[in-house]
Order: sequence, then C-alpha cells, then structure tokens
Amino acid sequence: MSLVAGPGRGGHHQPALPDELELCVEKHVAYIKSLDTRKDEYEYWLTEHLRLNGLYWGLTALHLLGHPDALPRSEVIDFVMSCMHDNGGFSAAPGHDPHMLYTCSAVQILATLDAFGDLEAHVNGGKEKVARYIANLQDRDTGTFNGDGWGEKDTRFLFNALLALSLLGMMHLVDVQKGVEYVQSCANFDGGYGTGPGAESHAGQIYTCVGVLSITKRLDLVDKEKLGAWLSDRQLPNGGLNGRPEKKEDVCYSWWVGSSLAMIDRLHWIDQEKLSKFILQCQDSELGGFADRPGDMVDVFHTVFGLAGLSLMKHPGVREVDPIYCMPKDIINRVVGG
Amino acid sequence: MASHGVPRVAGSGSRDTAKEQKKIQEYQSLVELVNAKISEREYTIEVLALTTKLLSKNPEYYTIWNHRRLILQHQFTEEPSTSETTEDNQLPPKQQRILDLISDDLRLLVGLLIEFPKCYWIWNYRRWLLEEAEQRLPTAVAVSFWQKELGLVSKMLARDERNFHGWSYRRTVVASLERLSEKSGARVSMVEDEFAYTTKMIYSGLKNFSAWHNRSKLIPRLLDERKADNVARRKMLDEELELIQTALTDPFNQSAWDYHAFLMGTISPNSSVETVIVRDFTNHDRVIYFEREMDRIKEMLQVDEDCKFIYLALLQYAATYLDIEGGNKYVTTREMRDWLAKLRELDTLRRGRWDDLESKLHL
Repeated sequence: MSLVAGPGRGGHHQPALPDELELCVEKHVAYIKSLDTRKDEYEYWLTEHLRLNGLYWGLTALHLLGHPDALPRSEVIDFVMSCMHDNGGFSAAPGHDPHMLYTCSAVQILATLDAFGDLEAHVNGGKEKVARYIANLQDRDTGTFNGDGWGEKDTRFLFNALLALSLLGMMHLVDVQKGVEYVQSCANFDGGYGTGPGAESHAGQIYTCVGVLSITKRLDLVDKEKLGAWLSDRQLPNGGLNGRPEKKEDVCYSWWVGSSLAMIDRLHWIDQEKLSKFILQCQDSELGGFADRPGDMVDVFHTVFGLAGLSLMKHPGVREVDPIYCMPKDIINRVVGG
Repeated sequence: MASHGVPRVAGSGSRDTAKEQKKIQEYQSLVELVNAKISEREYTIEVLALTTKLLSKNPEYYTIWNHRRLILQHQFTEEPSTSETTEDNQLPPKQQRILDLISDDLRLLVGLLIEFPKCYWIWNYRRWLLEEAEQRLPTAVAVSFWQKELGLVSKMLARDERNFHGWSYRRTVVASLERLSEKSGARVSMVEDEFAYTTKMIYSGLKNFSAWHNRSKLIPRLLDERKADNVARRKMLDEELELIQTALTDPFNQSAWDYHAFLMGTISPNSSVETVIVRDFTNHDRVIYFEREMDRIKEMLQVDEDCKFIYLALLQYAATYLDIEGGNKYVTTREMRDWLAKLRELDTLRRGRWDDLESKLHL
C-alpha cells in the first residue's frame, strides 16, 4: 500500500473559474484512492522517496473528507511496518534509508489508525524503539535535531521529533528545554523564524517553530503581534497566501500560514472567505485533487494542505483539523488529550 | 517533490505510453543495479558513476546520496594505485587522492545544483563533502574549497536572489571560512565583505528581502567588530535610514517597509532589537528620530495617498511614539483614527487585524 505524490492527469484548463465553488468530496476521495494504482506513470517511480509522506498526506486528507476507511487499514499498517528499520527509524519506502521526515509520518499514520498496538505486535517494544531513534538524533549541545546520521540540521526536524515523541508519549527522552532555546535562537526581528539561527523568516519554518512552542506549551515566547502581522501580510489580493514577502501564492501556505495564525489565535487577521475561495479554485473538479495554483497539476501534498486549510476555516463538509499536528482533531484529543 | 507551477495537461490520451514504459524500465533497472551494488558493498568508482547517472534523473532520491557518501568514505581510505601518483603533487598520495575525489565531485555537482536549485539534498551533500575535506585534508586545502564555494553561491544567488537554500549555504560558507582562519591562527572576519555583499544585492533589487534580512543580522556584529563608539553607531543608523528611504521611493515595496520597521525597532524601548545599533539613546533622542521618520512618511502621502503601507507604518510608529512621549501633541487620536479608516478602506483582507489594532490603540 502506497500513495504516490505524483501529479493528477487533469482534464483541461478550466476556461473561467466559477465564483461559487463546491468542494468535490467524492472526486478527491477517488483521486487519492487511485494514487496507488498508477504504476504505469514515470512520476510514480520518481516519487518513491516520498511514499510514506504521501501515505500520511493521503490518509489525513481522507480523514478530513470524512472517509477514514477509504484505505484498507491492514494494508496501510503493513506498508508502514515494511519501512521500519532495525534502529527504529522509518524510510520513505522499503529499501530506502531511515530519516526523521519519514519516521514522523510513520508515527502520524500509526496514531491516526490507533495502531500503536500493531507496532508493538510487529516489534516488541516498538514504540520505545522508535522514540529512541528520534531521541538519539538530538544534538545535545544545541537542542536541535539531525535529519539522520549524516548531520543535516533544520528546524523542521526539531518539530518532527517533538511531534512524533508527543504522540508516542515519550517527550521525556529528549532535552525539551534545549529545543525550546534553539527555536528562540532562530527568531528574527519580524517575529518569524527560519531554518536555523540567522536564516530568513519563512512561513513553513514558522509553522515548525511555532509548532514546537505549542507542543512544549511555550507560546509565551512568541511575539504574537509581530508574527501575526507578518503572517497576515502573506495574503495576496486573490486570497491566496505566499510564504515570504514578494513571492507568489501557493495552496500549501494556506496550511503553513493558516495553522501558525491559528496557534497564536490570529486566524481572523486574514480574509478566510477569500482564502477558502482561492483553495477551492485550485481543485481539479473533474478528476479530484488540489494544485498549488488554479489550473496547475494536482498532487496529494497540495491536496492535504488545501483541505487542512479549509478545515481551519471550518469549511462545511471538512472534519476539524488540529493546527499543530495536521491530523484530525478528535484523534489528537484521543492520543495526547484535549 | 510536489508539483509547483506545472500547468495541468490534457487527459491521458496525449501520453506516449510505450515511451513512458521504456523510461520507467530504464529507470527501474538503474535503481536496482545501484542498490544491488551497494548491498554488496561494491564501493567503487564505477558504482559512484552509476549513482551520478541516477541522481541526474532524480536528485530527490535521498538514499542514493547516502550511497554516494558510503562509496566516497570507502574510497578515502583506499591506497592510491601507483599510476595515480605523480611527483609534482604537494600532498602525500593518499591525501592527494582524497583531494581529487572531493574536487571532482564538487565540480560534477554544479550542473545538478543549477538544474535543481531548490533540492535540499544537493546542498546538503555539498556541505558534507566540504566537512570531509576539513577533516581529511590540510586546512589550507579546505579553505580553498570553501572559497570556491563562495564564488559558486554568489553565482547561484545571482540566478535567483531569493533562494533561501543559497543564502543559508552562504552563511555556512562564511562561518566555515572564519572558523578555519581561526584554526590557522589568524582569524579573518568576513562581516565587512558580507555587509558589502548585501548592499550590492539590495542595489540590484530593492525588493530583495533576503538581503535586507541578512543585513539585519550582520549589523550588530559589524558594529561590535568595528568597536564602534556611540558616534559611529548613530552614523550607522542614519546611513541605514537614508538607504531605506531610497528603497521606499516605491512605497509599495513591502520588504523595504519590513526593514524600516527593523530600524525603528532598534530605537524603540523594550523591542527585541532595542540595543543592536545605538546604545545611548535618551527618550528625547527617540522622539526626534520618530518625528523625523514619521514626517518623511507623511510626505510620501503626497506621492501616493492610496498606499496602505504608509498608513500602517504611521499607525504603528505613532503607537510606539505615544509610549515614549505620551504627553506630546505631535500625534493626535483624530489623526490616528483617520489613518486607521484609510487602512480599512485600502486593505479589506485584514479587517480582523485592524479591529484588533483599533482596540489595542484605544481608538
């Protein structure tokens, strides 16, 4: 079981975008379910390094669409387990190397499916094994995390680590305080955060840093006025959001910016109606899926972040998403408490 | 990764299925071949070439980059064959071989970087190669590698001046060169050069927020290293305020406004950057600077009275100004209400923010 992050084969350029757009739930469900069957497409093979991410994106999208059982549970779990390595880490697909990015997706999938028991059944002490793989990637001097044994550091991995560990209930394995200090060292004058100390504010990295501070309950450290202003400045006249000043809009920033605003209680600082409309315009209304911008090729990455963006704005027909974990809210309530 | 900016194409009928199947087959055989060789620990130059071929087709295949590292790590420990050693090399044969391997690899990957400038794994792998050079070769050799990287990253940023991978790599290069110079006994700071580089980048594109941002990070260090006294620090602030005025000739330049806000932050009490430029400001000084800047911004209204950034800046600076000097009549509540009304009219997307601003400022 795997979902490729490959493109959709959309019909045609939509000539004029209708003003009132409806969410094509059934089309999106069908699109996501079709992803595993497209082995005749070159793109399917080129995106093998994203399989486990793709599965998390697809599964989460299906949950948000109210079709949690659209993928066979046991096949999903079998695929996830086939990506697990002896050291407790997960790779993108069998035969690939373990990495934080995929380990986080694996934990998210297992949590969504209430499958930590299955993990234990597959590997004795599996939960702790996974948690130790993650914990061992912490740089104890700076508090941040490596992506894998080869040493790349990025605030994304710090977030992945704390997200996964909090789902596993194993935060005590790492130096949380040091991680928080590291996030602070990445803060910029504009209230935002970058990939590391000194790096420019970027909406994706802001999501990960504010996410860390949310999980560790240290949002008091955020300059909410400044950050909220910077984030709300990301909305462009067409309703879409960009990720940095002077850049183009993209559906995925509906999530990175929107969730960050939600975490600091400033989602009302943007025009949610216009953003919803922009997201809906990025749907392929014939064959399902969302693209970065209207008329572009769809993929499962933009599909989940488009849907999650709609969910933040309480769009009818979309289940409530948790703004930190990008997973269904009720699942987060079950796993980590409300 | 995910498709960005790729237009949606017509239905599957337009695809050449046979051609695509052949392409898949070729790709899959190459993947299988590489993985088989690696699982047999065949860490040879021939397999290295196979990974190059595969990565050129798919640079996002991160495991292959790891394979490449394993091959090179193995090769680094190999004794060179006699044919490889020549007399005119300065280094012992084994180190010379490492130098050649790293140098070839760095050169080879330039093309891939230019083709895929946003691929994390390529940048990351380059960093690793340079770290290996540092560990295995004399410092002078590592320095010359990093210096070449500085040239490369300048080229990359000339192609895309906002590439944040490029900016981030540049900071790594600079930090490494500084660290290595310290190691060889004579620490060379590059902060002046880097500051000059941001100036150059800003003049070639006033909306380049990446350059403005880097400037905000360099200035505090620059002043410390210059051992700037209070006079020099004020001079720096004045020069920066002049520079940003040039950028604000286009009042719709959001990046310039963001940097202006940074500069105003450095003269605002209790801001996170309060002391990074001037350290001896009295409240009286602050009042003078705020009034001067706000006067200049008000003048911009004569050029463009429909630019929301002007009203927003006025409102934000007025709020700080009132914190510094509440009893002064330079800013009136009525004026602030007018600015807010204009802001609401010009920017309807952020109504909720303006509502909150209204109550925060008690308007």
